[in-house]
Amino acid sequence: MLELKHIQKAFGDKHVLKDVSLTVKKGQVVVILGPSGSGKTTLLRTINFLDGADSGEIVLDQDHYDVTRIAKRDVLAIRKRTAFVFQRYNLFQNKTALENVIEGLVTARKVPKVEAITRGKAALAKVGLADRVDFYPSQLSGGQQQRVGIARAIVIKPDVILFDEPTSALDPELIDDVLDVMRDLVDDEMTMVVVTHEMSFARDVASQVVFMAEGNVVEKGTPAQIFEHPQEARTKQFLARILRD
Amino acid sequence: MTEQIFDVHFLLETFPKIMPYYPITMAIVGVALVFGLLIGFFCALIRIYHVRILTTIVNIYISIVRGTPLLIQLYLFYYGIPISLRLLNAKFQTNFNIDGVSPLWCVLISYSLNEGAYQTETIRGAIESVDQGEVEAAYSIGLTGAQTLRRIIIPEAVKIAIPNLGNNLLKLFKNTSLAFTVSVVDIMAEGKLIGSEGYRYFEVYIALAVIYWVSCFVISKVVDVIELRVNVAGKRIAR
Repeated sequence: MLELKHIQKAFGDKHVLKDVSLTVKKGQVVVILGPSGSGKTTLLRTINFLDGADSGEIVLDQDHYDVTRIAKRDVLAIRKRTAFVFQRYNLFQNKTALENVIEGLVTARKVPKVEAITRGKAALAKVGLADRVDFYPSQLSGGQQQRVGIARAIVIKPDVILFDEPTSALDPELIDDVLDVMRDLVDDEMTMVVVTHEMSFARDVASQVVFMAEGNVVEKGTPAQIFEHPQEARTKQFLARILRD
Repeated sequence: MTEQIFDVHFLLETFPKIMPYYPITMAIVGVALVFGLLIGFFCALIRIYHVRILTTIVNIYISIVRGTPLLIQLYLFYYGIPISLRLLNAKFQTNFNIDGVSPLWCVLISYSLNEGAYQTETIRGAIESVDQGEVEAAYSIGLTGAQTLRRIIIPEAVKIAIPNLGNNLLKLFKNTSLAFTVSVVDIMAEGKLIGSEGYRYFEVYIALAVIYWVSCFVISKVVDVIELRVNVAGKRIAR
């Protein structure tokens, strides 16, 4: 489904991604863990070219893309098949929840407006916001805004959804609303790559847990392997600190 | 009859005499506003996207306009356009009619260019202060750069720019009072004429002050209403 091969990325002389490879199979949920500055968010952003990687290869289904000489057209094609959920929701402030959700359908994919509205309302209903369709982001709580963000992602029926710390800007009591929606997507066998600090979520739903540090993948495996029997010292150290609280 | 120190009657009679020239003032404002916005929009895009040579040209243009008085810009066009045409005629045996260049044209051109420079800065500032997160979100759902500009950036930027565009408009309206210097007869020029006839300058200037003030008051109220309308939709939230 999605494969990253030898992805490298530097900002100036700071090597954020040194040589990262990752395989995500259809219907899998891959959770990326790691301390801040480990490059996990950047990795996510290179997948749909919010940050272009310096070198490496991205394989989406059968299509191979060399990131060093990718055409604009291909970037657009990849973005249309992937969706991104942002830490700070990044909703369009002067559009309603529904308008936020259907923008990608109507403008980018030329879906007829009537059909887009039907699909948009269904997506909002799926995230539990059927009664907030005409609300502006400023009228919604953080948790609701993030669920609009997720609706905006699922409505385009992407091959894979990329979640960048979707709950870390939320008040604790709102986190579960968002995680519930994400668990719901897991049940639908949506392919997901999730950067998060929610360990219980990772333990419960991940097909694969990837631990990153300093721009490298240190260790990957099933949740049981990573959480119960971590092999690397770096992983143990990180988990010890995180799981203590 | 002894001469009055302050002639209220003259003052009141001045209004109906001046107002027929109000359309000229409005025409200068209208033309300069429209072309100023167009120039400003394209120059802002050039600066934001760093279009090579053009960025340098735009920077020089803005620096000159902002660094010289409007009055001098006005004179430069007033004297410069006929001289340029004569040079062209002499050099290329062309036959431009030098007398055909009306002062009003010089005013319209110089005010449009002046306005354009200030609008460039306003529009650029507005576009650059659009939340980058929204731009990324637009890209992430597959919008092209042009679609993102049209659907996300411009609507947001307009909202941000309105107060400053309103200020520019007030400044422009008041600046039209310089057009008389190149013999365009607007309300200011006509007022001066009336004043010189009766030697009642003070009364005339009061009348002019009232006209400019009421006009600017109306403009600023209209801008307020527009601002309110636009902001009802997406009040920015503290995040």
